[in-house]
Amino acid sequence: MTGSETPAISCRNLWQVFGDNADSALKQALSQHKSADAVSQALRAKGLVPAVQDANFDVKEGELFVIMGLSGSGKSTLIRCISQLLPASGGEIRIEGEDIVSASKARLIALRRKTLGMVFQHFGLFPHMTVADNVAYPLRVQGIKRKARRAKAQEVIELVGLAGREDRYPRELSGGQRQRVGIARSLVTDCSVWFLDEPFSALDPLIRRQLQDEFLDIQAKLKTTIVFITHDINEALKLADRIAIMRDGKIVQIGTPADIVLNPVDDYVREFSKDVAKGRHANVASVMQSPEGNSYGVDDPGLRRDMTLDAALARCMDLYDPVPVRDSDGTLVGVINPADLAAALQVETDHV
Amino acid sequence: MSNALAARGLGKGALAALIAGVVGAFCLLFEGLWPWLSSYPNDWVLPTSDAVGGAVKGGLDYLKPAARVFSTLMAYPMTAANTVLAVLPWPLLIAATVALGWRLGGVKMAAMAAIGLGLVLASGYWQQGMNTLALVAVSVPLALLAGAMIGIFANEFPRFRAPVQALLDVMQTVPTFAYLTPLLVLFGFGPVVGLIASAIYAAPPMARNVLLGLQRVEPEVKEAAVMSGGTRMQQLFQVEIPAAKVQIMVGVNQCLMAALSMVIIAAVIGGFNDIGWEVLLTMRKAQFGPAMLAGSVIVIFAILIDRMSATLAQERRRLWDGRISLAILLLGLVVSLVFWRSLGHPDSYRLLDPLANGLDSWLTDFTRANAELLTNFKNGVMFYVLLPLRIGLDQAILPFTWGFQWTSGMSLGFYAVAAVVALGLALRGQPTLGLVVLIAAGILETGVSQLPWPFVLIGVGALSWVAGGYRLALLSVVLLSTILVSGLWDRALLSLYLSGAAVFACAVLGGGIGVLCAVSPMVWRLVRPICDMLQTIPLFVFLIPVLMVFQIGEFSAFLAIIAYAIVPMIRYTRQGLIATPDEMIEAATASGATRWQMMRDVRAPYAAPTILLGLNQTILYAFAMLVIAALIGTTGLGQSIYLALGQADVGLGISAGAAMAILALIADRIVQGFAEERKKALGL
Repeated sequence: MTGSETPAISCRNLWQVFGDNADSALKQALSQHKSADAVSQALRAKGLVPAVQDANFDVKEGELFVIMGLSGSGKSTLIRCISQLLPASGGEIRIEGEDIVSASKARLIALRRKTLGMVFQHFGLFPHMTVADNVAYPLRVQGIKRKARRAKAQEVIELVGLAGREDRYPRELSGGQRQRVGIARSLVTDCSVWFLDEPFSALDPLIRRQLQDEFLDIQAKLKTTIVFITHDINEALKLADRIAIMRDGKIVQIGTPADIVLNPVDDYVREFSKDVAKGRHANVASVMQSPEGNSYGVDDPGLRRDMTLDAALARCMDLYDPVPVRDSDGTLVGVINPADLAAALQVETDHV
Repeated sequence: MSNALAARGLGKGALAALIAGVVGAFCLLFEGLWPWLSSYPNDWVLPTSDAVGGAVKGGLDYLKPAARVFSTLMAYPMTAANTVLAVLPWPLLIAATVALGWRLGGVKMAAMAAIGLGLVLASGYWQQGMNTLALVAVSVPLALLAGAMIGIFANEFPRFRAPVQALLDVMQTVPTFAYLTPLLVLFGFGPVVGLIASAIYAAPPMARNVLLGLQRVEPEVKEAAVMSGGTRMQQLFQVEIPAAKVQIMVGVNQCLMAALSMVIIAAVIGGFNDIGWEVLLTMRKAQFGPAMLAGSVIVIFAILIDRMSATLAQERRRLWDGRISLAILLLGLVVSLVFWRSLGHPDSYRLLDPLANGLDSWLTDFTRANAELLTNFKNGVMFYVLLPLRIGLDQAILPFTWGFQWTSGMSLGFYAVAAVVALGLALRGQPTLGLVVLIAAGILETGVSQLPWPFVLIGVGALSWVAGGYRLALLSVVLLSTILVSGLWDRALLSLYLSGAAVFACAVLGGGIGVLCAVSPMVWRLVRPICDMLQTIPLFVFLIPVLMVFQIGEFSAFLAIIAYAIVPMIRYTRQGLIATPDEMIEAATASGATRWQMMRDVRAPYAAPTILLGLNQTILYAFAMLVIAALIGTTGLGQSIYLALGQADVGLGISAGAAMAILALIADRIVQGFAEERKKALGL
């Protein structure tokens, strides 16, 4: 993290309501009711659909923020609000500090040309353009000369591993290749905020995993701020810095993958993480206690803060006293009781 | 649950039938007492068509100067197109078409172009044909441009989408002849009227397809264009329109065909030595050989234009080697130059004249030899089917046709039989059907053209209510009332009778053929090219063969309408029946259904909405042809429109055209309503 003060994306009291005269109905409901739930209820009573209700969150610069939920939970609507493909019904959206709800059309076009990039679930490739033309299109609308944009497009085409297929048409590519084109197109303008709307959901599992890994590599190289939509908890846990879980238009929990797995706020979230092997997704840091005031025994199994719970547990199978946790240069950063490790993995069984 | 639904469905239908039946019976019983019940009194007619005529004429006078300027302006491109096509030597024109054919469709298309234009040349109608093409060549760009702009406009401003759709509906349902009259007043006598009329007629299909294409572009493709930072113009012209290209090309194809069809219809105005006029002229002189020949020239143009432009709308079309096209073109040029002197006037190649004359005399011999058979067939259909339907059993059954006189006793007996059948049906749990039988008996006894007007209003209103609820019922009744008060009622009923009879015949025949095609792929392979052909031929040409065999009159019109309107019925019936999902067929097979049971219990119910849409198309086709058929003798609204054209009577032309459009619109909405309901019931 760069430690910059302004978040890359900031949403406050964001609402998206569908139906006739939705915006004015929302305004009225907001003035009459205090809680978001009451407002939603009032809107539903009028036959309107509150697809996003009172969303509040910040995405830090360089962060990979995953929004997860089942279909119909409003996640696609939410990302379309933030990218201004849909004008939000109410609330505030700031991108790099700039209020984009009230931005002019021209400003939005400028933002999309320089700052924002988006990848779509069904790729959204232009059927009448070759791979190279698809990728270069965001440059073409800016009036960049053919040769220059072709050269820039070539760079990203190589980055996503499509070199040699520049002159193919989308219909001649496999699903995985098509999404590579989509990714390349969204990267060609060196955007700093990158939206991905279920980019790998339409692909078969093997290709999906391969693309996820490549996506992480690209992310490590480019360090853009990312909003990533998915309905797959494993994908979310694998990729995310933080996850927001949506249900029926509401964000029910925001947290790190470990938070979501270890401390689900309600049964809905717990249901998601039920089938997840927790020991593989939570790390030692999420269960350790601060070294001050906590003593530990003589054994030092060599725990590190970023170790998964599974790995940590394997090292202290026959230990009963608290053990130290150190970071890579040996400094003490925490203390952990092996019993807590085991308990953390069993959170769920306590409740079921 | 299904019982409750059925009870409710029956309730609505039965209630509507009951209301209609009661009103009908009331009218029949009391028409002696109150004659105004059966025929709408003349005193109650408002002089609407005069008022409309006055108003429109006033408006037209206001527009006239501008229109005349436009007319003068349009004369330039027309003369230009005409001159180009007339001056260019025919080998070059043929070579150009063949070269285009090669480029679009390879050997097959090139051969088609060569043979087609060769025949045109041999027919001796080259000059007239080129005049027609010149009109098409100028009107099509106008129509394409107007259509594309309307389509894009409706796409950009969703608020205007519904009104634009309604406008397009009107532009296409108002019979083609009807707007020739105001155009004639506006633009003055001459080919420009045909030009404008064909542009007006051909623009809607383009507009519809552009709008449809743009709306069908995948949302994510549109969003990707937005997120790429394109301005609205860039999104539209760089992404959405190219992505909608296939659909737009379908529009281009339909636009071309409509323009050709209308240019030929507009020939009735005359004053332009084109191929439509030639057909009309030869038809009037009863020279059927030459009429056939000229008609074939139109058909050749239609097929060439259709097949060539259809390749543009193929999903993944390939272009053939352009060098060969260039070579063909060069060959044409060389031939033209080398034989410049010896190339005769294209009209001098009347190679097919002997054929035409032969056909003519063969036809004369044929009709003479089979006169008895043909007359019997014609009279049989007229006396035993059409006439009773038109004026009712009580008047149509006369000693010299049926061999006996229809007496009131027979009427009573007829009603009694109908009542027994109805009662039987009602007792078996089908009261709606029973009532419908009773009403049908009443209509048959009275005759469609003499139905009491309160019954028609209420009956159509009730039917509309069943099909589409109160709003449709209200719309139907109000629109029908305007026909009533405008004094065109009798003619409207005559139109209703003829088109109704033709649609019924189409439904039975076309439905039957459609079922056969669905069952046997062999039959479909045989029927399909005929359907393709019938759909490509401009309306006008249908008149020639029926006229040759059955002379002028209602029966010929009836046949012409059937020939034109039967195609959608066949196509949709087959399409609906073969589109049953495989799982349903497998489930039925697994349940042990025979082929016939499968057809009756699975395929037919599933196909019902599609078949209803086919019926809907058939109705619209029938109305379109009805007006054209006025040229060979019908008595309904079509005749009024045709008369108005001859007298430049704008009021009558517009009123009759509007009445026709109203009938088509109501029929369209009712059938669509039923189709929607069936679709919903099937969960489609």
